[in-house]
Amino acid sequence: MTFQTLFAAESGKLYFGDMIWYLICFAILLVAVKHYAWGPVKDMLEKRRQQVIDDLDSAAANRKKAETLANEREAALKNSRQEATQILSDAKTNAQKQGEKIVADANDQAAQIRKQAKSDAAQAKADAINDARDQVADISVAIAEKVIAKNLSADDQKDLVDQFIKGLDD
Amino acid sequence: MEKSFVFQLFGINFNFANIAGSTLMALAVFFLCKWLAQKVELRPNKRQNVIEMILDFTDGIVKSNVADEDAQKHLSLYAFVLFMFIWFMNQLGLVLEVKIGDLMYIKSPTADPVTTMTFAMMTLLLSFTFGIQKFGTGGYLKNYAGPVSFLLPINLIEELTNFLTLSLRLYGNIYAGEVLLTLIGNSLAPSYGILTEIVAAPLAIIWQGFSVFIGSIQAYVFVTLSMVYIGKKVTKE
Repeated sequence: MTFQTLFAAESGKLYFGDMIWYLICFAILLVAVKHYAWGPVKDMLEKRRQQVIDDLDSAAANRKKAETLANEREAALKNSRQEATQILSDAKTNAQKQGEKIVADANDQAAQIRKQAKSDAAQAKADAINDARDQVADISVAIAEKVIAKNLSADDQKDLVDQFIKGLDD
Repeated sequence: MEKSFVFQLFGINFNFANIAGSTLMALAVFFLCKWLAQKVELRPNKRQNVIEMILDFTDGIVKSNVADEDAQKHLSLYAFVLFMFIWFMNQLGLVLEVKIGDLMYIKSPTADPVTTMTFAMMTLLLSFTFGIQKFGTGGYLKNYAGPVSFLLPINLIEELTNFLTLSLRLYGNIYAGEVLLTLIGNSLAPSYGILTEIVAAPLAIIWQGFSVFIGSIQAYVFVTLSMVYIGKKVTKE
């Protein structure tokens, strides 16, 4: 193949016009494709890339937030459990104390009442004895009067005086 | 080699087959891209997935060969359109070949060295531009004498060989594919009547499938090497 056949077939004419046409064609194609296809697609790819980055960032932030929230909740739960135990034990001791106090009070009161009853009984007994003694004295005086009124001989009178005097000596 | 329909306009020769093929394929690329990117959404739909996949693929070529971040951004569009355009032009000749009388009217434009050299030249000029933009004219010219000064002639020759290999590799692959397809269709099939036609049909199908593969690989190779050459210019050795 000679140089001439390589470039110009058998027509013997080198077609430079084709080169110009290709360049024009290619230039127009570049501009058109850039405007209608390459540009929008590239923009969209960039936008998608940005969105993916944003999504990843926000996902990481969300996960962090959730983690802290979970930790907080766990701490609060532990706290409240502790509090509950505290409240329960407090209530238990309070109840025990109160119970003991009630029992002690009741004992005291019972003792008081018993004491009162004892003294009341003693008083009543004393009163009764005193009453009885007074009555006995009265009755005996009345009997004595009657006896004395009926017959009081000289001897008797003497005996009485003696007795009285004896009583004085005692 | 088939004769082409060459016409003259403003004193410049035009090859009708190349003009028609490239224009058709440019329109095809444009409408396909426009259709695929019709409804671009944040949640990708099926069409959008396709164009994003292609874009990802060409961006991958750019990123793996050009280290400079700024150049990457500018080359993304170039690589995408270049890949689509060359791929479509490679496939055109397999699908559609119009020949009226002795003259070709539609064929793969990339089966013509003029076409591939145009694109290779474009890459070459682009690599110069990026190199000068990065290092300045003086710095850029100094890079030819690096890393050791006696490599200067080799570096200069490399520019020419890069350009030639880039363009002729693509041309050779696509042209050979078309030649073989034509041979199977035009020479082998009618050579011994019905028998050879039966043999030729599956052969043609197999070769067409293989050519689709070659066309894709060559489009990929062309874009990759373009990026390699440009990438070499924007990195200091």
